[in-house]
Amino acid sequence: MDAYIEFRNVVKKFDDFVALDHVSLQIPKGAFVTLLGPSGCGKTTLMRQLAGFSEPEEGDVLVDGKRMNGLPPFKRNTPLVFQEYALFPHMTVYENISYGLKLKKASKEEKDRKVAEMLEMFNLQGLEKRFPKQLSGGQQQRVAFARALVMGQEILLLDEPLSNLDAKLRVEVRTELRQIQQKFGITTMYVTHDQDEALSMSDIIAVMRRGRIEQIGNPWEIYFRPANRFVADFVGTVNFLEGTAHREADGSLSVDHMGMRLRVDEDTDLQGGEPVTLVVRPEGISLLGLEEPVPEGTALRGTIENYSFLGRMIRYWVRVGEEVFVIDDANVDLTGARSGDVQLRLDTRKLHVLKGGGADAAG
Amino acid sequence: MAAGTSARESVKEMKRLKNEPLLLLVIIAIILFVGIFVIYPVVKVILFPDAGTYLELFNRPRWLTAIKNSLFMTLVSTISCTAVAFLFAYVIARLDVPCKGLFRFITLLPIVSPPFIVALSYILLFGVQGIITKGLLGLHVDIYGRLGLWIVQTVTFFPYAYSVIYGVMKGISTNLEYAAYNMGATRWQVFRDVFWPLCRPGVAGGALIAAINVLTDFGNPIMIGGDLALLPTEAYMQINGWYDMSTASVLAVALLIPAVALFLVNRFWVGRRSYVTITGKEISLNPFPVPKWVKWTLFTLTMLISLFVLLVYGTLFYGAFTRTWGYDWSFTWENLQYVFLKGEQIWNSIKYGLLASLGAALLAMILAYIVQKKQVGLNKFLDFLAILPGAIPGMFLGIGFVLAFNGGWLSLTGTGAIMVLALLFWNLPTCYSAATAGLQQIGASVEDAALNLGANSFRSFKDVIIPLLKAPFLSGFVLSFLRSVTCLSVVIFLYAPSTTVGTISVMVLVQSGQWGEAAAFTVVLITIAFTVLRLAQWILGRQGIKLEL
Repeated sequence: MDAYIEFRNVVKKFDDFVALDHVSLQIPKGAFVTLLGPSGCGKTTLMRQLAGFSEPEEGDVLVDGKRMNGLPPFKRNTPLVFQEYALFPHMTVYENISYGLKLKKASKEEKDRKVAEMLEMFNLQGLEKRFPKQLSGGQQQRVAFARALVMGQEILLLDEPLSNLDAKLRVEVRTELRQIQQKFGITTMYVTHDQDEALSMSDIIAVMRRGRIEQIGNPWEIYFRPANRFVADFVGTVNFLEGTAHREADGSLSVDHMGMRLRVDEDTDLQGGEPVTLVVRPEGISLLGLEEPVPEGTALRGTIENYSFLGRMIRYWVRVGEEVFVIDDANVDLTGARSGDVQLRLDTRKLHVLKGGGADAAG
Repeated sequence: MAAGTSARESVKEMKRLKNEPLLLLVIIAIILFVGIFVIYPVVKVILFPDAGTYLELFNRPRWLTAIKNSLFMTLVSTISCTAVAFLFAYVIARLDVPCKGLFRFITLLPIVSPPFIVALSYILLFGVQGIITKGLLGLHVDIYGRLGLWIVQTVTFFPYAYSVIYGVMKGISTNLEYAAYNMGATRWQVFRDVFWPLCRPGVAGGALIAAINVLTDFGNPIMIGGDLALLPTEAYMQINGWYDMSTASVLAVALLIPAVALFLVNRFWVGRRSYVTITGKEISLNPFPVPKWVKWTLFTLTMLISLFVLLVYGTLFYGAFTRTWGYDWSFTWENLQYVFLKGEQIWNSIKYGLLASLGAALLAMILAYIVQKKQVGLNKFLDFLAILPGAIPGMFLGIGFVLAFNGGWLSLTGTGAIMVLALLFWNLPTCYSAATAGLQQIGASVEDAALNLGANSFRSFKDVIIPLLKAPFLSGFVLSFLRSVTCLSVVIFLYAPSTTVGTISVMVLVQSGQWGEAAAFTVVLITIAFTVLRLAQWILGRQGIKLEL
C-alpha cells in the first residue's frame, strides 16, 4: 500500500495528558479515511497535526513522502472543513470561497471561474453576495465545503462537518460528499463520533480510544470483526457471549457457552480450553418458533421480554438464562410482534471470537 | 502540583518569546507604559504621606465623618439606584407597555452627560433661585446636603446599574418561567423562585457598578454636597485650599480601599456567578402577562422618573438660553456666545478626548489580542494590568499624576500630554473589556481557517481579526471618548490655564453662580457627546452591527 498521508509514531501531549500515544496511520491516495471514536479520544488532535494547528512532540507527519513537521499551517495546503464551519462573518459567500485564491494572487477571471464551479457543485448559485449569517445551516455548510475544495482537490480534512445539521440533511449530505470525493479522487480524512457516518462513507476506518488507534480496517472488518470489546461496542449494538474455546476432532472451532456448544465458522489460532468472548450483532441472530428444526449447536432458547417496532425491523430483548440478547428481526409481520418463548438461531458465519474477556487485541 | 506545572509551562512559553522579538518588544513596552503611568502614580500617592499623616485620619473628627458620610451616601444611593434600575429593566424587558423608546433614551442620557449635570440642573430647579422653589412656590430652602445629593446620585448613576441588570434579565429565558407555571406555581412564586434568583447576579453586579461610581464621584458632591464632608471633595479642598498634598493623599487612599474592594468583589465574585447561558437555538415565548394593575403601576412609576429626568435636562437647556436665572427669564444667546468665546476649552475637551481614546482603544486592542490569542506565559499578569486602572478612583489617579510627574525625571505638569495620558490610562479598562468581548466572539477556528487556506499569521490578522475587531474597537473608542469629554475627577488636578477643558469651566462657573453660562457649556458638551455617539452608531449600523454601551 502506497501511503499518500502518513502518521509515524506521533505523540502529542497537553501538559500531563497524552492526547496521542504513538499513533501510526497510512492513508492511500484517493482514500476516504475516517477517524472514529468518542470525544477526547484524540481524533481531532490527530487531524490538527496534519493541518499544522499544533505540532507533535514526537513522530512524523508525511504527505506524499514529504515531512510536514514544523511547516506552518498556511504552507501545508491541507484544506479543512471545521465543525462550526468557521466562515468569515465579515465576508460574503464569494469572498469566503475565493479567499484562498486571493492569497495566491489569482486573477479576477480565475477567481470568478473557480468560484462559479464551486457554486454549481454545491448548489449555491445566486448566493454569492450573501453574508454567512444570511444563510441556512445547510448552506453555510456547503460554503465551507466549497471554500475548502476551491484550492484544488488533493486533500480534504473534515472535522465533524455534519454534526450541526438535522438528521435527514445529514444523510443527504454524506451521500453527496462521498460522490464528490470519489469523482475527484480526493484523499479525505474525516473525523466523527457517529458510527453510521463512518460505516456509510469510509474506505478505511480507524477507531480511536485514549490517544491510541484500536483498530484500522474497512467498514466490514470494523463491524463484523472488531478487534476488541471497545470497538465492537462503539461501532454498533452488540451481544457478548463469554465461554470457552473447544477444538473438534476435525479441527473446527466451537465455543462452550452456558452448557451449549456453539459452532463458529471463523478461522483462528485458538487452542481448546482458552476463555473467549463471542461477538454477535443483533442481526446475526434470527428468531424462530420452538417447533422449527435447527442444526445442532446453532440455537439457544429464550423468552421475549420486550420489543420496539422501528418500521423496517423490530428490535427484541430476549432473556436466555441470566443474559438478555438484543436481536433485530427484519422479517416484520404486518400485524404485530412475536411474544413468549422462542429459539435464537445464531448465524455461524457472523460469529466473531475474541480472546479472553475481549478487552485487548483479538485472537 | 497544578500550580507548579502551570508555572513551568509559563516559563517555557516565555522562553519561546525569544523567537518572536516583535511580540516580546510590544509586551515589554506595554508593561513599561502601565508601570510608569498607572503603578508608579499609585505607589507615589500611597507612599507620599508619612505615618503621622495617616494616623491623623483616625484622630481628626472631620476625616472620620468624611469616611462615614462617603460610605453612608454610597449605601443609600446604591440601594435607590439599583431599585430604579431594576424597575426600568423590568418594564423595558418584560412588560408590554408604550413609551419604551422614551425609557431607553432616559437610561442613555446620563451616560453621555457630564457627571455633575444633574446636580447643576437640580440647583436650577430647587435652589435659592430655583424655578420651582422660588418661581412657583416662593420658598427659600437649602437643598445642599444629604437629601439633594442622594436624589442627584440616584438619577445620575442608575443607568450604569440598569445596563447590567437589563443585560442579565434579557438573557433569562421565559421558558423557565413557563416551566414553573406549568408545575403549578403562582405568579408571585414564579417571580420569587425563578425570575428573581436568575436576576440576582445582575442585580448584584449592577449594584456594585453603581456603588463604585457613587463612591468615587466628584462632580455631584462638589456642586451640591454643601457642607457635607465626603472623601473626594475633602481631598480636593486640601489641595485646592491648603496645598496639602499629604493629607489629600491620605484621603485618596481612604477612598481607594473601598473602591478596590468593590472592584474586586465585582470582578471575582459577581463576575463568575451569571447563570445566563446563550444557546441561540432556544425559542422563547412572550413573557407571561402580569396583572393589569401591577403593569400600570410600574409603568406610571417609570414614567414619573422619566419625566423627572426630562425635566432635569429640559431645565438645563432652558437655563442655557435664559438671561439671569431667578431674576430675568428672558431669552438670550449670550450664554452660548460666551461658550464660543471660550471655544478653546471645548476644543481641548474634544482634542484630549480623541487622543486619549485613540490611544486607549489601540493599547487595549493589542493587550486583549495578546492576552486572548497568544500564549506568552504572562497572560494573567497582562490581563491584570489592563483592568487595574478600573479599580482606581479618577481623582486618585489625578493626584497620582500630580505627584509623579511634577518635576523630576518626567515632568509633565501643565502640559496637554499629562491630560491625555491620564485620560488614556483611566479609560484603558473600558476599551479593554470591549476588545476582549469582541475577540471572544471570534471563534478560534476562524483564525485557524485563514491559516488553513494559506494566510500567514500577519495576513490572517489583517484579513480576519482586524475587520472583525472594528466594531469592538469603535465601541471602546466611543465609550472612552464620552467618558473623557464628560470627565471631571481625573483632570481637576492636572489642568493648567491653557489646558482647561469644558467640564472644569462648568465647575468654576457653578461655584461662582454663573448658572446660565454653566448650562450653556454643559449643553454644548452633551451635544458633542451625543453627536459622536449617534455617528458611531450610524457607521456601525450600516455594517449591521449594534453598538453596545
